[in-house]
Amino acid sequence: MTETFDIAIVGAGITGCAIARQLARYDLSICVVEAANDVALGASKANGGLVHAGYDPAPGTVKAQVNARGCELYGTWAQELGFLFCRTGSMVLGFNDEDRAHLEKLRQNGLANGVPELSIIGPDRIHELEPRASADATCALWCPSTGFVDPFEVAIAALENAVANGVTFMRSAPVEAIEVAGSGDDARFTLETPAGNVRCRYLINAAGNGAADISHMAGAEEFQMVWRQGNIVVLDKEPRTLMPLYPVPTPVSKGVIVTGTVHGNTVITATAAVREPGDTQTYASDVNALLAGARKLVPNLDTRRVVRAFAGGRPVIQGTNDFFIGQSAVVPGLFQAAGIQSPGVASAPAIAERMELVMRESGVKLHERTDWNPIRHAPDDFDRAPLARKEELIESDPAWGQIVCRCETVPEAEIVAAIRRQPDAVSVEGVKRRCRAGMGRCQSGFCQSRVVAILARELDCDPSEVLLEDAGSWLVEGPLKGVR
Amino acid sequence: MATFDMRDERTGAEAVAAVQTQAFDVVVIGGGPAGMAAALAAHKARARVAIVEREQHLGGILRQCIHPGFGLSHFKQELTGPEYAQRFIDQVHATDIALLLNSMVIGIDSGEPTGATAVHTVTLMSPAGMLQLTGRAVVLAMGCRERTRSEIKIPGSRPAGVFTAGLAQRYINIENLKPGSRAVILGSGDIGLIMARRCTLEGISVEGVYELMPYANGLRRNVKNCLDDFGIPLHLSTTVTRVIGHDRVEAVEVSQVDERLAPIPGTERVVPCDTLLLSVGLIPENELSVAAGVELDPRTRGAVVDQSLQTGVPGIFACGNVLHVHDLADNVTTESERAGAAAAARALGGGAETNAVADTSCELTVSPAGIAGYALPGRITAVALTKLNFRVRRPVDTARVRILANGEEVFAGKVRAFKPSVMESFPLPAKVIQQALDLGVSEIILSVDPVEEA
Repeated sequence: MTETFDIAIVGAGITGCAIARQLARYDLSICVVEAANDVALGASKANGGLVHAGYDPAPGTVKAQVNARGCELYGTWAQELGFLFCRTGSMVLGFNDEDRAHLEKLRQNGLANGVPELSIIGPDRIHELEPRASADATCALWCPSTGFVDPFEVAIAALENAVANGVTFMRSAPVEAIEVAGSGDDARFTLETPAGNVRCRYLINAAGNGAADISHMAGAEEFQMVWRQGNIVVLDKEPRTLMPLYPVPTPVSKGVIVTGTVHGNTVITATAAVREPGDTQTYASDVNALLAGARKLVPNLDTRRVVRAFAGGRPVIQGTNDFFIGQSAVVPGLFQAAGIQSPGVASAPAIAERMELVMRESGVKLHERTDWNPIRHAPDDFDRAPLARKEELIESDPAWGQIVCRCETVPEAEIVAAIRRQPDAVSVEGVKRRCRAGMGRCQSGFCQSRVVAILARELDCDPSEVLLEDAGSWLVEGPLKGVR
Repeated sequence: MATFDMRDERTGAEAVAAVQTQAFDVVVIGGGPAGMAAALAAHKARARVAIVEREQHLGGILRQCIHPGFGLSHFKQELTGPEYAQRFIDQVHATDIALLLNSMVIGIDSGEPTGATAVHTVTLMSPAGMLQLTGRAVVLAMGCRERTRSEIKIPGSRPAGVFTAGLAQRYINIENLKPGSRAVILGSGDIGLIMARRCTLEGISVEGVYELMPYANGLRRNVKNCLDDFGIPLHLSTTVTRVIGHDRVEAVEVSQVDERLAPIPGTERVVPCDTLLLSVGLIPENELSVAAGVELDPRTRGAVVDQSLQTGVPGIFACGNVLHVHDLADNVTTESERAGAAAAARALGGGAETNAVADTSCELTVSPAGIAGYALPGRITAVALTKLNFRVRRPVDTARVRILANGEEVFAGKVRAFKPSVMESFPLPAKVIQQALDLGVSEIILSVDPVEEA
């Protein structure tokens, strides 16, 4: 089976989904080809969700150009796509004169990168802005434009909007080979995948940690990916959500950052160590370093309340610390969005915008559709809904009053909605990423068997076929005895 | 751009004029063994009582505890969990206690603290919609949850096949589903031990039970009945240091630990398995309590209560595993009957009559010392015979309980053995409390101190 599109985007991470959403407004047929069985299962999953403001990247780099712009665009994207975005501002905390000098350098960087309203502040203002910041902090870089999102939600929202505008999503389709025909061919590239072949005129490489392989398969630029692994810890909800607090950065990373999340948890992100490609293990040493680092910034943080620890690799291109966004110099028609490591989430809307520009300048015909709808309506979030809305929902369907996940107050109807939307949740973790069932403090101890039953019912399969995540991640073998 | 406080928009503080309200004397939150015993005791004291339960059935976690061992002290008869629960369910059904099943409490509003006249409003939701219950007293009986892999920070990958023991118990005993074929169990708490036997009986091979501490954490009888009788090895001072497998568990790495409980490098061993069950502790589920303004004891992670099991919020009581993790359901029942009776007394008789010999001049805090991990109640506000509960942090063959006031020993118990698996209980005589008050102290210390064998 082969389908033909104008554009194929390889990778349904936040980058690929944002690009799909950006290009969906044009009269083009687009397919997003994803190796995994769901959206955002690679680097986008192992992410702290910070929308960094953009004072870190060295001026003049691609990162510097897309980070501040991406951060700026998040306001509009959040409104149009209906995802949660909190622009709380952030502080980089300094503890001595040396730190202060560094903060000043960061501020200059930020000014050069177009980051608005940066200032250096003293202890009184620090504690006014975040009372829980360490009392030892003597100075801080105050950056009002920083924010945070739920990275899954952003990717899912962007792809939902793209799909609603006609984009095709092909899952469980790892690209195994790419055939490239002559440049005049309308369907120049043929991607071979176990889920079927995809032919396209233009190919966008947004394959995250697989970007070097895609580029190689297409005969384009040769580069190597470095698996810069990071561990991340999520703590239980706090009565008041923390503002993102950063330490003074090191040459390779932003250091251990403490931040609130859109759901009121606290995230400690992230370590940085070069490890074997594909290593998503957490390490005791990393987790301890995160907790210790967090306590330096927020001494009264209760680090016993760990809800989840996870890890993933940032897609870093060896030999450069920058993003690679542009048309391949070797294979015209192939567009690269590679090396999208940190600050990939913050930059995603701007990477999409830049990709559009690059394609336009390369001669890709972009005709606006008349029927493009930029708006995606978020599914009802029962926990956040006002009481009156809760009542309305329960009245419309009693399944809204049937709470399945007690920690996050997720009713059955919300889970069913996650399974029925497009692109749909096909696994327990897919459900969790869409509506948070199982994301809370008990980590699905109480609700997993119920979510499995709902998935089995909705997908019309046996519980033994229900997956935790991707292929092979079965949860139960089957019935113990008797006939079910 | 101002700081954006997420909580502002998510509190359920909006006006709820449209929500229907029902009035009771005592509202019990939770329909497990604690909630049922509290409700029955309050009903016996002639209070109008409601039980709010999340599930469709009363009984709580006992419904999946199909093993025997329940009722030995309360009914002088060995029952399974469902049998034990059913005795209370039948009693509840024989009363006019209002049952709100399939109902989740989303908030408790205690209004302004106005002493004896305070009325608490419990907001709940169910498939039938929202409802508010009012009561002069509320009993918190929400039970506990299991500690997760994340809380004990087991490193490694995150495949399917890592279950808390209670979740695996639910799959096996309620859902008739087999969670795997080859299991490793981490933690020798009672649920872990029970599940080792259960898995074996259901044809799931148990490779071993691993325990971080140098002693078994469950009751002695469970070690014997569940492991020894089935030839399941118990590996002490050993823990899981890595989960292996990308999609489904393929193995776990176990390591021995030193006396500081740190893994000893070089002792790693890989145990092939497809399932890891965790029985690594229980945590009282107090999110609702905290939201209602109830102060918690960091040691128990349950409410700080007085001798009548009343929390720091007047009229809100707590009992069972939401207060402190118990060893036996029978003890939950006994404790919860006290809470229910005290709640009814408060609701029917007003504020000061929660205890017959209440003495406004009595205000003592109780703190643990020595090897006592906690002391409950944390406050004593009446000079009366007071039941004190505690657990020791490590097993000792010879130790004694001492009560200290201002460094002076005002009470000393018998020398005997203590085990962390046992929730200890002893009656503190009124005269000891009076003695402490006479010394002018505001705090007494419950100290369990090992003594040299004679």
